[in-house]
Amino acid sequence: MMQGKKPKIYSEYEIRVILFYATMILALPNVLVLSYIFDFSSVLDIYRFMFWVAMVVLALTIAGTLILWLNRDHYKRRVKASYRGEFIYLLFQSAFGLLGIAVLYDYLGGSRQYIANVMIIVFAAFFYLLYTLGRKYFKFDYMKKR
Amino acid sequence: MNGLKKKPIADDRLNRIIKYLAIALLALAVVFMAVQFSEVWSWIINAIRTVIVPVALAWLFALIMFPLIRYLEKKGIGPRGLSLGIVFLLTVGIIFAIFFFVTPFVVDEIKNFFTNDFQKIIDYLTGDLRDDFFLGPDLYDKIMEYINETDFFNTWLDEALPGLISRLSGVLLPLLTAVAILPILLIYYLRDYEMISDRVRSVIPQKHEKRMAELGSRLNQTVGAYLRGQLLLMLAIGTVATIVYKLIGLKYFFVFGVLVGVTNIIPYFGTIIAAVPPIIYSVIVGGAPGPLLVLAVNVVMQFIEGNIFQPVIMAHQLEMHPLIIIISILFFGSLFGTLGVIFASPIAASIRVFYHFFKEQRQLTELTEGPLGEGKT
Repeated sequence: MMQGKKPKIYSEYEIRVILFYATMILALPNVLVLSYIFDFSSVLDIYRFMFWVAMVVLALTIAGTLILWLNRDHYKRRVKASYRGEFIYLLFQSAFGLLGIAVLYDYLGGSRQYIANVMIIVFAAFFYLLYTLGRKYFKFDYMKKR
Repeated sequence: MNGLKKKPIADDRLNRIIKYLAIALLALAVVFMAVQFSEVWSWIINAIRTVIVPVALAWLFALIMFPLIRYLEKKGIGPRGLSLGIVFLLTVGIIFAIFFFVTPFVVDEIKNFFTNDFQKIIDYLTGDLRDDFFLGPDLYDKIMEYINETDFFNTWLDEALPGLISRLSGVLLPLLTAVAILPILLIYYLRDYEMISDRVRSVIPQKHEKRMAELGSRLNQTVGAYLRGQLLLMLAIGTVATIVYKLIGLKYFFVFGVLVGVTNIIPYFGTIIAAVPPIIYSVIVGGAPGPLLVLAVNVVMQFIEGNIFQPVIMAHQLEMHPLIIIISILFFGSLFGTLGVIFASPIAASIRVFYHFFKEQRQLTELTEGPLGEGKT
């Protein structure tokens, strides 16, 4: 008898790993978004600021990786049927991260003429990534019609 | 024999028609009596409104804050006083921080606008608009002639201003009172949340208590989910709009961005309201981003918000047909003014909860007692 492939339910460990590394990767762009709104560049050297933010993010990544590794067994035992809240968090991180990448492009001296092009490419990449992650790990398909 | 068999059903239908007619007549009689004593009713309604506005605001705030208190208590941060204190201070802190950091930017931009660009807009309206007028310069001249002859604006201002001021004070005073009372009300409401719910439940007749408690919990869940989601969306779309406006080089990006966030509370219309000022500004003043780019940015932002964020944040329970939302905005807006427009969606969602709940109850009754209460003895 043919049996359909059962969808795998992932533990909280996998979800936390995704969320943690997504947060860390997008941390610099997210901080830059805030700095851009409140115009930090007018009161401090933005390159030095970016460097220190990147250093702090690196330190946090190392510490977080260790904490995750130490609590691995604990989180692997915990499972949820759907990770809706976690996916919403990832969605917001990505939205601001996307804008942060555009801000980073601007700060690094990229031509403003091509900002829309950069954003479209990054948006498409993020959309695909979120769609795949949402369907596979978070059990959340936002393209599906209810 | 057949006629005899059908008789009880016909009687039942007749009884029901008579019952509904009696209810309709009684309702009309009540309305008629209410109209006769309209002054007394207006006193009573004013008194109720004075109480209801702060209580409703406290309830809405409680729907946002209470899940946080519950979360802290689940994590072992208690008793209630401590968790309430933390959430309350956090909320006040966030509101204060928003005002403290955002207000100077907004005030600066408004000041800049009046010193740099306001005169340009006036000049455009009184001069260049004639050439750009979409119905032609001749019609523009005729309209201006009419306005000058009839002193239209001054007459309109003289007529409308006193009414506007009295209406504004009529809205502002109760609102200010409500805002002043709100923190105290909220503290007591959140402290005794369960006790108040139990007291309200105890008023309901025992026969309906369970059903009404279920309905109340569904309403709380729906309205709470709507408010939390809407707040999150407003914050996100406001921030995104501010950054994108700045990226495309739009002047006064902060004010326009805040406007996008604030007006996002009104579904569909909010988008249009927020998009109009920056487009008009870029048409009149010109400069960096053209009106088409501003329009495109607004369309893209609203598309992403409406198709990606909203369906994810506002869960299935709040999904409503756009037509229902638009009708409810028009209806509640005409009934309660600005507040009605803002709260049209949660009111419509609540009505939907009522409808589904009573439909479920009816189906349940039909399942247990038969379609016309045949199970009744």
